[in-house]
Amino acid sequence: MLEIVGPYIPLILKGTWVTIAVSLVSLAVACLLGLLGAWAKLSHSKLANTVAGAYTTLVRGVPDLVLMTIIFFGGQIGINSLVEAMGWDIYIEIDAFTAGVVSIGFIYGAYMTETFRGAILAVPKGQIEAAVACGMTRPTIFRRVLGPQMMRFALPSFGNNWLVLLKTTALVSVLGVQELVYNAFSAGRSTREMFTFMLVVCVIYLILTTISTTALRWAEHRYSVGVRRA
Amino acid sequence: MGESTPAIVVEDLYKRFGALEVLKGISLRAHEHEVISILGSSGSGKSTFLRCINLLETPESGKVYVQGELIRMRPKRGDRIVPEDLKQVERIRSKLAMVFQQFNLWAHMTVMENVIEAPLRVLKVPKAEALERGEQMLQKVGMYDRRDYYPAHLSGGQQQRAAIARALAMEPQVMLFDEPTSALDPELVGEVLKVMRGLAEEGRTMLVVTHEMDFAREVSSQVMFMHEGLVEEYGIPSEVFERPKSERFRQFMSGLLR
Repeated sequence: MLEIVGPYIPLILKGTWVTIAVSLVSLAVACLLGLLGAWAKLSHSKLANTVAGAYTTLVRGVPDLVLMTIIFFGGQIGINSLVEAMGWDIYIEIDAFTAGVVSIGFIYGAYMTETFRGAILAVPKGQIEAAVACGMTRPTIFRRVLGPQMMRFALPSFGNNWLVLLKTTALVSVLGVQELVYNAFSAGRSTREMFTFMLVVCVIYLILTTISTTALRWAEHRYSVGVRRA
Repeated sequence: MGESTPAIVVEDLYKRFGALEVLKGISLRAHEHEVISILGSSGSGKSTFLRCINLLETPESGKVYVQGELIRMRPKRGDRIVPEDLKQVERIRSKLAMVFQQFNLWAHMTVMENVIEAPLRVLKVPKAEALERGEQMLQKVGMYDRRDYYPAHLSGGQQQRAAIARALAMEPQVMLFDEPTSALDPELVGEVLKVMRGLAEEGRTMLVVTHEMDFAREVSSQVMFMHEGLVEEYGIPSEVFERPKSERFRQFMSGLLR
């Protein structure tokens, strides 16, 4: 098996690295959108409620692959007609990596919205009131009281989202991003050993998810400080 | 100018929750070093009144002055008002420490971390100074030996004493107590009341929503009795308890004695 896989190890490792990069950047986008979405859903503004509601409904109702394709091609057309409308004579090309990251971030932002919304609601109101009554500013309250306490409630569902996101990045191969699955497919086709290379992909994904699970378990422990264990 | 500026002045406060009118025009004047006990049966609006002073609840109308400074409000669609300047509200809140019925110690911080948090983040006190002050306050309430405990590992009475230390660490002008002993087991009430008596003796300005009649009678300089969103009885404890003018207050008292 090694003589089949051996020559392709650099290609596979490069793909693995791209997979990790796509996942982490997408996660950052998703967390940002998730916090924004949770804030919008919990705010008193009707407009913010409606926009956030439409966002989660759309994402949850449409297949990831379809959304991704729409964002990739639609985004390209959209941005360029916008640029044209502004009267600028340039053509902007969105590269596949950016499109992939934006669309996966956009999709998982919707799931993170629900995760964070639930976690914020789970923090007892009195914890926030005590901070407000001291005269803390809203950013300080988020950073010092709400944030650390909602982590504990958010982490289990956050962890699930992350694992699914990590695996969903395989879809960006469709856009031509040369990540793990894309490169393994190329290798499989040229050697006619598709099965072998898919096994390699399996193992690499398992390693990544195992590392993730360990990190998440550590984080859950870290953010359970002060919680009485039965 | 014979008199100093009152610590708190409240004028004609109205508050509604939906169709329910909770406060129907409440006024109050608290001078420095005064302890005012606010009594009333549940639903009388006494906690809501206290929470309107530091704007944990926003009143429909009315004015609140803290050390002569008016909390500026502006009208917002319909008949609501909102703070004009959140920065001003935050600054005033930092002078009014609150002690809650459910303690509300931050669960992810130890006792000492709870006590130094607001001085560090709000008053921007240097850490060494905050720790030193925290130490003093915890000693005052008898919680110094528990400074590294998390709230979940303390009894209710210990949590409330730690919460009082947290309030004291802000060196507040006025302390607001919202039923500080109501969530405690009867045998734990005494230790908290003892700390509060000590604070009153130090001459701290305190507004205390409570059901503890002995505390109201013996410690406070003024007693205010609320019923259905109105002040029914107000005066010095000896007057109010010996010769109540309001029939409601008499009923309230006899109900407690039974």
